[in-house]
Amino acid sequence: MSLLAGRTALEGLRILDLTSEKGSFCGKLLADMGADVIKVEPPGGDRARTLGPFLNDVPNAEASLSFWYNNTSKRGITVNLEHGEGQKVFRELACTADVVVEAFPPGYLKKLSLDYEALKELNPRLIMTSITSFGQTGPYRDYASCDLVALALGGQMYVSGDSDTPPLKAYGEQAYLIASLFGAIGTLMALYHRHSAGRGQLVDVSIHECVAGMIEHVHVRYLYEGVVARRQGSLHWDNAFRVFPCKDGYILLTLFQEWDTLVELLDSDGMAADLKDERWCDHTARSREADHIIQVLGGWAMRHTATELMDLGQLLRLPWAVVNSIKLVSHNPHLLERGFFVEVAHPEQGASFCYPGAPYRFSRTPWRVWRRAPLIGEHNQEIFGRELGLSSAEIAGLISGGVI
Amino acid sequence: MLGSLSGLRVLDFTWVLAGPFATRLLADYGAEVIKVQSRVTMEETERNINGYFNTWNRNKLGISLNVSKPQGIGLVKKLVQVSDVLVENFSPRVMKNWGLDYDTLTEVRPDLIMVSMSGMGQTGPWKDYVAFGATIQALSGITHLTTCPGKPPLGLGYSYADQVAGLMGVLAILEALEHRRKTGEGQYIDLAELESMSGLLGTALLDYQANHRDASPIGNCSAYQPAAPHGVYRCMGEDRWCAIAVFTGEEWQAFCRVLGHPSWTMDKDFATPLDRWRNTARLDQMVGEWTKQHAAEEVMSLLQEVGVAAGVVQNAADLAGDPQLRSRGFFVELDHPVMGKTVADGSPINLGDTVAHFHRAAPLLGQDNNYIYYHLLGMSEDELEQYAAEGVIS
Repeated sequence: MSLLAGRTALEGLRILDLTSEKGSFCGKLLADMGADVIKVEPPGGDRARTLGPFLNDVPNAEASLSFWYNNTSKRGITVNLEHGEGQKVFRELACTADVVVEAFPPGYLKKLSLDYEALKELNPRLIMTSITSFGQTGPYRDYASCDLVALALGGQMYVSGDSDTPPLKAYGEQAYLIASLFGAIGTLMALYHRHSAGRGQLVDVSIHECVAGMIEHVHVRYLYEGVVARRQGSLHWDNAFRVFPCKDGYILLTLFQEWDTLVELLDSDGMAADLKDERWCDHTARSREADHIIQVLGGWAMRHTATELMDLGQLLRLPWAVVNSIKLVSHNPHLLERGFFVEVAHPEQGASFCYPGAPYRFSRTPWRVWRRAPLIGEHNQEIFGRELGLSSAEIAGLISGGVI
Repeated sequence: MLGSLSGLRVLDFTWVLAGPFATRLLADYGAEVIKVQSRVTMEETERNINGYFNTWNRNKLGISLNVSKPQGIGLVKKLVQVSDVLVENFSPRVMKNWGLDYDTLTEVRPDLIMVSMSGMGQTGPWKDYVAFGATIQALSGITHLTTCPGKPPLGLGYSYADQVAGLMGVLAILEALEHRRKTGEGQYIDLAELESMSGLLGTALLDYQANHRDASPIGNCSAYQPAAPHGVYRCMGEDRWCAIAVFTGEEWQAFCRVLGHPSWTMDKDFATPLDRWRNTARLDQMVGEWTKQHAAEEVMSLLQEVGVAAGVVQNAADLAGDPQLRSRGFFVELDHPVMGKTVADGSPINLGDTVAHFHRAAPLLGQDNNYIYYHLLGMSEDELEQYAAEGVIS
C-alpha cells in the first residue's frame, strides 16, 4: 500500500457502502477519487437496480442506468445482513474498514446489532455515515419519504413553478444527490478529525435538512424581512433573470443588468420601444414595472436564435445562457473541449458508454471512473477469499446458505 | 469547542454565494476562515450589514485588504504563507492579473491547496463567460427539465447551482487535505460550476449517451419507477398543498384505508401500479377531491400514520416552525453587532462528537484586522497605521 500511497487522493480509504438509491452518490463521489468503496448488496442485488431508465429500455438488474451512474468505481459484494452468518462476515469486514455509509430506516441496523454503537466496539476508528429521510432523531424520524416528499417538506417545491400552477419538483433525484454530497463531506470531516482524535464518529445526515439547507433566499428573506417567498415562474426570485422564448428555443436573459448597454442593443434592432425614455434610467422604476421590461425584451428575443442571443450577451459581459436540453449539453463545445465526458467500458455489454465526468479537476490526483458499477456479487471471491481469507469451501458454504 | 476542522486556516477570496457557502461550511466545523474584503469592491451581496451577507459569512474572520495596491499583494502573500487553503470564485483572469496564480503562491507556501471556483472552469472556449447560478442551471439542462410536460421551461427560480458548486468545493478541499496528509503535497483545483451541476443530472446524461433519449420534463411525476398517486395535491386554505407518493400495492391499500375506501378506489383502472400510472390524470383528480377537504398538515399525518410518504409543501413560515427541524436544532441564533439577534439555517451535517459550532455573526468590514495583521502576521502598529493611511488596509 505504501508504494501506491499518494497516487490518488483517497487511496487506502476503505468504505463499506450499504446504501440504496438514497445515498449511493455519496460512495461514487469518494470512489471516483480513489477510495476503495465496496458496495454491499443483499443477495439478488440492491433494490436500486430495479429503477430505470434501463439500457435499451429493457428492465434488467444489470442494466439500470441510474444504478450505473451512481455506483461507478465501486466493487460489489452480496451479504445477507439479516442472516447471522452474514452479520458475522459483515463485522469482519467492518474491522477492515474506515467508513460505513448506510441509508436504512433509523433503528434497522440496531436490530441487527450492526449499528454504530455495536461496530465501534470492534473498530473504534470506524466512521459511520447515515443518510436517512429525516435523521436519527426527532418526531418525523420514522416517517416515510422519497425524493418528492423531501423536496416538498424541505421548501424547494413551494418556490418553484408558475404562480398559478401547483408547486413544482426539481428534475432528477436532487434531494438524494445533495444529501449524498453532504454525506461525503461529513465523512471526510470525520476522517480529518480522526487523524488527530484517533477515533471515528457517527455522521447523521437528514435528507430533509439537506433540502432545507439548499434553498438560497427562502430562509433569509423570511427570517430577516418576514417575506414568504412565492413561486413566480422562470423569473428569478430577485427578478434578475427570466427565461424567454426565442426563434429556436429558450434563452435565459437578465432584465436590468448593464441597462444602457442593453437598451442600446435593443435599439440597434429598432426594438427598444420606450425603454430609451428617461424614466427607465431609474432602477427602482424598472424593478417596479418589470412586466413592461419583460414584454419589450420578449418581443426582441423572438427575432433571434438562442445561440445568437447568448453570444451577443456574453460579448457584452451579460450572464445570458441558452436553456439547454440534455442533448445540447451532451454536445456542448465547451464541455467537449474540456474533455468532460469520459468513456467507461462495459465489457459484458460489448460496449462503452460516455459518462459525465469530474465535478472538479485536481492538479495532482486524478478523478476517474476506475470501473463501471459492479455486477451483483462481482467481487465476492476477491473480497471474501483473497482479502478476508475465507477458504473456497467456506465461501461455497456461505453461497449455499444464502448468506452471500 | 473543538470542531472537526480545528487548526485548519482558510484564506477566503470568495464573494456572492457559491464561494461563501463553501467557506461557511468549513467555518461551521472549526476552520479559521479569513474573509478578505475591500471597501472598493464592497457592493451588493458583499455589503456587510445585510441578511444575505450575514447568512453566508457567519463564523468567519473579516479583514480589509486592497489587492489593487502593490503592497496589498505583499500582504496576501504573507497571509498565504500561514494558510492551508485558499479559495476564490472570481472570473479566471482575476487572480492571474493580480499575480496571485497558484504557481506564484506556492513559492511562499509550497503545500498550498488552492481552489478556483468559476462558472466554466479555467480552460476551454467559454472560460471567460459570465455566469451566475441561474446561467449555470440553464446551461446544465435542469432549467429545461424542471417544468410540466409540454410547457415552457421554468427551472428552480433561485441559485441552486451555486450551492451545489459550494458543496463540491468543500468536498474537493477535504480530499486535497487527505492527499496532503499522506504526501505533504498541496495542489490546485479547477472547479467549473457547470461541471459540478452536470454531475447532478448524470442519469439523464447517461440515458442520452446510452439510449439516445433526450430527457423531457415530467413535472412532479416519479422519474425512475412508475408511481401514482405521485405529486402535490391542493388542500384546504390559500395555496396549501401536500405531496403524496404511493409506490407499492401495500402503500396503495393503506392509502385507500385512510380515505375510507371510496368506491372509485375499487375501479379496475386503479387496480395495479401500472393501471394507476396509466390513469394518473383521473386518479389525481379523485385524490385532489379528498385532499381539498383537509388541511395539508392533516393529510400528511393521516398518511404518515399508515406508512405512506406524504409531506406538506412547506413555505418559509412552515419551515421556520417545522417540528422536525426545530427538534434537531436546524435554526441557529447569532448576535450581530449592528443588526442584533439574527436567525439562519445551521448545517445538515450532524457529527456525533464534533458538532457544528455557531459562535459569531458575519464580520463587519475589517473587524478582525487587528487580530490578523497584528497578532497573526506580527506587524507593528506603525506598519498597520501606514498601510491604513496608504489605503492598503481598507
